[in-house]
Amino acid sequence: MPDPREAENVKGVTIPLALMATLAAGSALAAPTAETIARNCVVCHGPKEAGQLEIPKIANYPARKMVEMLTGFRAGQKEATIMDRIAKALTDEQIQALAAYFANQ
Amino acid sequence: MRTSRRSFVAGGIAASALVGLPRIARGAAPRVVVVGGGFGGGTAAKYVKRLMPEAEVTLVERDRQFVTCPFSNYVIGGIEKMQTITHGYDKIAKRGIKVVHDEAVGVDANAKKVTLKGGASLAYDRLVLAPGIDFVWDAVPGYSEAAAEIMPHAWKAGPQTLLLRKQLEAMRDGGTVIIVAPANPFRCPPGPYERAGMIAWYLKNHKPKSKILIFDPKDTFSKQALFFESYENLYPGMIQWISGKQGGKVTRVDPKAMTVEAEFGEEKGDVINFIPPQRAGKIAQLAGVTDEKGWCPIDPKTMESTKVKGIYVVGDASIAGAMPKSGTSANSQARNAAAALVASLRGQEPPEPSYANTCYSIVAPGYGFSVTAMYAATPEGIKEIAGGVSRLKAPAKDRDLEAAYAYDWYRGIMYDALG
Ligand SMILES: Cc1cc2nc3c(=O)[nH]c(=O)nc-3n(C[C@H](O)[C@H](O)[C@H](O)COP(=O)(O)OP(=O)(O)OC[C@H]3O[C@@H](n4cnc5c(N)ncnc54)[C@H](O)[C@@H]3O)c2cc1C
Ligand code: HEC
Repeated sequence: MPDPREAENVKGVTIPLALMATLAAGSALAAPTAETIARNCVVCHGPKEAGQLEIPKIANYPARKMVEMLTGFRAGQKEATIMDRIAKALTDEQIQALAAYFANQ
Repeated sequence: MRTSRRSFVAGGIAASALVGLPRIARGAAPRVVVVGGGFGGGTAAKYVKRLMPEAEVTLVERDRQFVTCPFSNYVIGGIEKMQTITHGYDKIAKRGIKVVHDEAVGVDANAKKVTLKGGASLAYDRLVLAPGIDFVWDAVPGYSEAAAEIMPHAWKAGPQTLLLRKQLEAMRDGGTVIIVAPANPFRCPPGPYERAGMIAWYLKNHKPKSKILIFDPKDTFSKQALFFESYENLYPGMIQWISGKQGGKVTRVDPKAMTVEAEFGEEKGDVINFIPPQRAGKIAQLAGVTDEKGWCPIDPKTMESTKVKGIYVVGDASIAGAMPKSGTSANSQARNAAAALVASLRGQEPPEPSYANTCYSIVAPGYGFSVTAMYAATPEGIKEIAGGVSRLKAPAKDRDLEAAYAYDWYRGIMYDALG
């Protein structure tokens, strides 16, 4: 697990929390880390111990494909029961960061 | 000092938070007490321990087993067994969390101590309250805790779930089932309407001449169009909803006569499922973290009580802005609260939270739909970023998939909370 005291930026490079906090203090840049967002995803997608049967696994998912899937869902261009609605809450930066995060699980 | 070198990098901003922690500053392991071992409390305990292995985490839970409300409607409808929704605390105990089966009966926020019914008391550096809801028993004349043995609420799962199921099994064909839905806010906004669907599933197959009346003080409810569409598709003519405007607000019940009196008139029921109004679990009130309406205001960024510092409130008990009172909300709030709590123990700024909710409803085997959203903390409270409900008129395949996905959601959340 990444150090929770560090935040991942868009390119998957970690920047110290101090900097994030400084950025957050006076701007709209306050952003949850990829890990923080991803914890919401794994409730459905699971680590394999959770025993999901139908929802596709996304641990170690190829980053490029994840970006393609999530942007596709967001644009309503990929078939989905629920991911279209979830992806609408994600920015491009967050999609990149999530792709980097899940690629290394 | 326990705090790591790295945290001093952030110290410029966070230094003030280091004040007032003499015990931890002396190097003792921080003590975190969590009251309530449901979706919120289980998750909070697990994530505090995960983020801060050196912390002493104690989970106080009244019951030996956790029976989930999610999926309890399927037990009532006869498509699931109690066993499916009954979970133990052994797995999370194995993660190094001390599980104490007792009831918290008091909180002294100055002395930072929780007292237990069994007589012991637990000192804490940070406290998480996740007690879920209590019922306001006397809100409607005629109803009471004793009346719940005749007109079950089944809004806390366990014996009440089975009681409602048994009453349905004993009912004659051609009987009337009345569901009394509560006003907002309440635990699980789609719950009463999912329940109507599940009861209809049972009745359609076993007592097809029966009907279901839903008495409601509200004029709209969660996933309403989807529920109506499903009732129409699956149970035409069986379920009637009486809205607030139509006089659906219940003013009195009579458990002896088995009648429900609403603004529009009186109805007799063969089975009456009365869901009372709610407030935060009593320990929240005893701890001084509730407002005048009985719920707990929190800091949207951390879930820390705005009334008493050092106490975090997650789950149904909290006022979490746009988030509905659900197991998924409680789970998500608890993860973010755990991160904020650990940051505060380390003298750091809380990380930016990311909240989410999903509620699946299954109204017949192979017929499910959902509401989902992601949320952010803003100075005005927790706000929805984006989300929505399943499409109306979706193909049967989608409803079938969503029913299957609901089971995966259940597996996932039970693993995250108590696994
Ligand atoms: C019929 C129904 C269906 C539902 N379906 C869904 C669903 O599909 N999806 C979903 O997300 N949500 C669903 N919910 C909502 C969900 O059950 C709640 O929102 C969720 O349980 C809230 O979690 P919590 O941690 O706040 O409280 P709870 O899960 O109720 O946990 C509170 C725990 O605290 C314990 N406790 C309370 N006070 C004390 C004390 N003083 N000392 C010790 N222990 C104490 C209780 O025993 C309990 O175990 C449903 C609810 C109902 C009624
Ligand atoms: C409520 C459950 C749920 C949550 C939460 C959820 N997903 Fe999904 N996900 C699904 C389902 C179901 C599918 C299958 C497509 C559909 O029906 O929407 C899916 C599909 C996907 C896929 C495509 C997988 C494939 O190969 O087909 C990706 C990638 C994905 N999700 C990523 C995410 C990310 C990232 C998050 C968190 C931001 C997330 N999901 C949150 C349920 C969920």
